[in-house]
Amino acid sequence: MIHVEHLTKDYRRVKRREGLFGNLRTLFSAEYEPLRAVNDLSFDIAEGELVGYIGPNGAGKSTSIKMLCGILVPSSGRIEVNGLVPHKNRMANALQIGAVFGQKTQLWWDVPVIESLRLFRDIYKVPEPVYRQNLEMFNDLLGLHEFRDAPVRQLSLGQRMRADMAAALIHNPHLLFLDEPMIGVDVVVKERLRTFIQQVNRERKVTVILTTHDMVDIEKVCSRIMIIDHGQIVYDGDLERIRERYGTTRTLVIEFEESVPDFDAPHARLVKSEGRRKWFAFNRLETSPSALIAHISARYPVADLAVEEPDIEEIVRTVYRGGGPQEAAR
Amino acid sequence: MKLFWSFTRQAFHNTVVYRVEFWIRLVSILLAMYSIRAVWQTLYTQRPDAFGLTLGQMVTYGVLGMALHAFIDTGSEWYIATQVRTGAIDTDLLKPIDFHVHMLARNLGEMLFGMGVMALPTYAIGYFVFGLQLPPDAGAAGLFALSVLLGFLVQFHLGFLLGSVAFATLDIRSIAWAYFAVISFFSGQMVPLWMFPDGLRAVAEILPLQAVYYIPMSIYIGTYSGTAAWSALGFQALWALILAGVARLAWHQVHRRLTVQGG
Ligand SMILES: Nc1ncnc2c1ncn2[C@@H]1O[C@H](COP(=O)(O)OP(=O)(O)O)[C@@H](O)[C@H]1O
Ligand SMILES: [Mg+2]
Repeated sequence: MIHVEHLTKDYRRVKRREGLFGNLRTLFSAEYEPLRAVNDLSFDIAEGELVGYIGPNGAGKSTSIKMLCGILVPSSGRIEVNGLVPHKNRMANALQIGAVFGQKTQLWWDVPVIESLRLFRDIYKVPEPVYRQNLEMFNDLLGLHEFRDAPVRQLSLGQRMRADMAAALIHNPHLLFLDEPMIGVDVVVKERLRTFIQQVNRERKVTVILTTHDMVDIEKVCSRIMIIDHGQIVYDGDLERIRERYGTTRTLVIEFEESVPDFDAPHARLVKSEGRRKWFAFNRLETSPSALIAHISARYPVADLAVEEPDIEEIVRTVYRGGGPQEAAR
Repeated sequence: MKLFWSFTRQAFHNTVVYRVEFWIRLVSILLAMYSIRAVWQTLYTQRPDAFGLTLGQMVTYGVLGMALHAFIDTGSEWYIATQVRTGAIDTDLLKPIDFHVHMLARNLGEMLFGMGVMALPTYAIGYFVFGLQLPPDAGAAGLFALSVLLGFLVQFHLGFLLGSVAFATLDIRSIAWAYFAVISFFSGQMVPLWMFPDGLRAVAEILPLQAVYYIPMSIYIGTYSGTAAWSALGFQALWALILAGVARLAWHQVHRRLTVQGG
């Protein structure tokens, strides 16, 4: 469905010069420095996949999504979206994709939401029955009817995202690109959007790329995650595997019978100490919980204990830092 | 065609939102009509034969200029400049529609709406209150309508060009000011071209700006009729075509820059 090969994008940035004279010179002859936003990116996405696309700010997520939309031309490399090269067939590609850019709305600011949707119906030449059917679905799943007559500028962020989501799907696209659609949205709406995205993916066989900073989105919704940093893929696979590979850090929480002084155990590190409780981080490849417990309980009487798995957020942070299994242990 | 009507509907909703602005505009247009009539009346009482037209024609010219002004300028330059500056242009490029066609549909829709909502009331008030005369015959009225449409196309493309060119500077306000000053003068909106001193007149006659006000209004008051009217329409059509071509070229450059360098 999507084929990306050695994709690279360089932006040109005006080089700033210091001081008044520098500013003046910039005005007349700007010097540019290239900035590589996407660096030799390659991946394939099959029809019907729901891919979480994550990475720290400035990693190149939006840039690559814009190239998939045909809004930006790659500096080098190849892209194919459902058989089309987006920047060469921008308009044909636009018919088969839908997109939500969380930072900006594609709806008209001053007119009722429903009027923007009607306009899109005409722009995309959506047949009337299809349009009706879609509106009904948006009413059911997004609660569109609650705010369809209000102009966008009066909507809450959550309502606006729901409206934008409807706008992105009004023409039954094969692919949906969601660039931070959850930004600033409250938990209830988030949950609703997640269900909606899943439903669209499952029932309409829409291939989805979802960019988000919320790992809960990824865990609940995505079957595959791609992590990008500095314009490059640093991880591509399912959640299970990322846990296995990077999630080797465990935390042993011990409650002692009385308060004890701080100490380190072999292959473990004391990370937190609170009253009679202590938290030890260890790498499960280096030591086992039982060995650790044996060592500790030999020195101090233990009242209670638990082993905590790392949450996905922590794992991803490890990946961002470029940490492999070794580094995760420290 | 359907697309134009959808944009007309949008323009309607937009205006409903800005009701107050609508009334302010209406009142200011009426004030302008009133003062332009007062000016001509005073000038005519002093030198009745100096202008080569009857007072009725002259007042009609001035008042009609205001009625046309109410809808012919849809401000396409602001939209383009804003979209590019804020990056919202991405959402326009996400649509399966050529940007130039999109803008044309949008502005034509707004013009049609402005015609119904602004121009007709001001025209009626001009007729009943300020002594606006009817065109000499039905033929002239038809040619006038055609000429207004061509005038709109010229105006739209100038705006489109201004918006696309000025995007490089990001802020188009200063350029737009200069443009408005030039257009309201050289288009003959206030004062017909034949009253210009020779040098200025020669300039005004080669510029496309006369296509926006001067030509339609001259057809309306009957100073252009028959072959003169048709050749004036030809002039408008030619300029509309040239400007459309140049606007597309300019936009092509902007688009290339936006998509290749990432605005
Ligand atoms: N239009 C632009 N011009 C110059 N640099 C840009 C532009 N857009 C983004 N960048 C830079 O490219 C890099 C990637 O940005 P982006 O794709 O928006 O990242 P993300 O969406 O992952 O946060 C960043 O360093 C950003 O500053
Ligand atoms: Mg981004």
